[in-house]
Amino acid sequence: MKSISRRRFLKKGIAGAGIVAISPSIMASASAPDGEQEKIIYRTLGKTGLKVPVISFGVMRSDNASLCKAAYDKGIRLFDTANGYQGGNNETMLGNFFKDNKRDSFILATKVKPNTDREGKPTADTTPEKFLEMFNTSLSRLQMEYVDILYVHDLSNPEMLEYKPLIAAIKKLKNEKKIRFMGFSTHRNEPQMINAAADKEDWDVILTSYNYKQAYAAELTSAIKKAATSGIGIVAMKTLAGGGWLDSERTKPMNTSAALKWVLSNPDVHTTIPGMTSFDQLDLNSKLLTDITLNDQENKDLLADMSDPGLFCSGCQQCLALCPLNLPIPDLMRAYMYTFGYSSPSMAKNLLEELAINGNPCSGCDECKVQCSRNFKVKEKIADISRLTNVPVDFLT
Amino acid sequence: MKKTFLTGFLLLLLSVFALAQDFVLPDLIGFRKITDYPVYVPGNLWDFIDGAADTYLALGFVDLNVAEYRKGKDVIKLEIYRHSDHIMAFGIYASERSSSYNFNNLGSQGYIVDGAINFFKGNYYVKLRTYSKKSKTLQSEESLARIVESLLAGETDMPLLLSRFPDEGKKTNEETFVNESVLGHQFLNNAFKAVYQTGNDNFSVYIIKSGSAEETLKTAKAYLAAGGIEPDQSETRYVFTDGYNGTTFLTWKESLMVIISGLARDQADIAEKYSSEILK
Repeated sequence: MKSISRRRFLKKGIAGAGIVAISPSIMASASAPDGEQEKIIYRTLGKTGLKVPVISFGVMRSDNASLCKAAYDKGIRLFDTANGYQGGNNETMLGNFFKDNKRDSFILATKVKPNTDREGKPTADTTPEKFLEMFNTSLSRLQMEYVDILYVHDLSNPEMLEYKPLIAAIKKLKNEKKIRFMGFSTHRNEPQMINAAADKEDWDVILTSYNYKQAYAAELTSAIKKAATSGIGIVAMKTLAGGGWLDSERTKPMNTSAALKWVLSNPDVHTTIPGMTSFDQLDLNSKLLTDITLNDQENKDLLADMSDPGLFCSGCQQCLALCPLNLPIPDLMRAYMYTFGYSSPSMAKNLLEELAINGNPCSGCDECKVQCSRNFKVKEKIADISRLTNVPVDFLT
Repeated sequence: MKKTFLTGFLLLLLSVFALAQDFVLPDLIGFRKITDYPVYVPGNLWDFIDGAADTYLALGFVDLNVAEYRKGKDVIKLEIYRHSDHIMAFGIYASERSSSYNFNNLGSQGYIVDGAINFFKGNYYVKLRTYSKKSKTLQSEESLARIVESLLAGETDMPLLLSRFPDEGKKTNEETFVNESVLGHQFLNNAFKAVYQTGNDNFSVYIIKSGSAEETLKTAKAYLAAGGIEPDQSETRYVFTDGYNGTTFLTWKESLMVIISGLARDQADIAEKYSSEILK
């Protein structure tokens, strides 16, 4: 081993200051360059009146306070976490970072998930006491007297928007000034949820999945417009539709700037919360703080990707009403993805068995009436995947 | 030809073995088992845990089996997450634990807190949850955890590399595994991290084990180059300023690399003490 002695290590440590050069990668100024912060594009988050930069920070996967500091120094102001992220460690990390910052210099959003059943409806365990207990734990971890936005986490059934015990508990938090604004997050059944919320006065902010790959993007855009018009602030998540990759094998990187710009081309979306774990991602996304115009190349990349159906069924369920045999087509497309996307035919065979598929269920149909919103050749895919039902499981991996 | 046949035969055996390792979700006396959840895979994990899915996916998530156990209004929910290997299972488990919990000997390690029982064993991360406060239900939940633990195959030790962290000043049960963008840098991956407090000094130690000495050297050079440093051929210990993370001590030996962050430049003696102990 070639190493230096303790004395030399110490000497190196002292001398090191003189030999370190500046590199654009890790020695880059964490702050936005002079004048850049003045160019940041802000939008007003609906009736909250909060002025938010178009790029915010989905902190969920980061455990690095230095990254949060760098984002803050670049002008990002809204930081999004949740009671459940990293078992609460994400909130603790943010709390430790923000405790030394002026409280009105940042906007903190967190989420608390009430217990619901499989259909997203309240259960006997959906109690305000439990919800408030979880919220108070979040507040304690964050070391704050209040959070700016409290989202009810992961709502997919409009019944929850009218669940009075929970609504009353959140309004009480608002009156006690433990939260400034109330909202909910949704990533299933979004158009219905957003349309329903737009008709109510309770909700200040909605955090919704929104990206150019959603088959029901037009319907969602319309719902977002309705909600924004009624004064609800709109925050977009899942803007990268699959974490920045075009394929499940993570071999084709997405043009992430183009994906974010597509979302922000909708003026009714007030900010986005891309997840970031590296300074390179932060550098890339922070460029969008001042420029959200899609250039020619970005437009081309989006169009090319939109024309490629890929393997992911978006779950729009448009096909279900068109199939005369009432086949569970989204599930069959999932089985196809297991085989050809994940290289796991055994997983596909298990799913086919659960669906009670035996042989090709389409063999009796001459003409397929199903029109897939993603242009999947549904009949061909079902014919391919159903062959697995005749293969003994021991031959599959 | 013979070799090809044997390889194919072995692969077939392995695949059958892998299937044999799959388990049936166990019954729990006095409770009705509900298993009509789909098996969640990377493509639909979002449907189950929303934004938290990203962390699981980044840590080699393979699939998730879910069951509910009902008795009257009481529900115990069981979630068994399978990850690609034991280190990834530790990674997801450790990302969600808090050092303030009461730990137990379930699997490699586990804990019980507020109706939740979490543990990891082999490639699996297991989570049980009940909102019931009844002691009988809580006991049943613990029994179920023990049954599941006994059914799962896999290592019950902690990942071996954790034993290299010196004990002095280490904050117990705060070790984590960062599989990508260590310290926020995309060229640094797969690090075990421990947090230390000695006197008034708080610092973090990262250990990265590469596949070979050459790979370690390449990673070290990448980090140094990003800091504007031209590495000396014979030197394996450096201190430099990482513009985002501050003073950084970087040391390596063969396929092991140690990064220490949080100490000042004049604390090189502490950095050397810890680096040397890890690399000895």
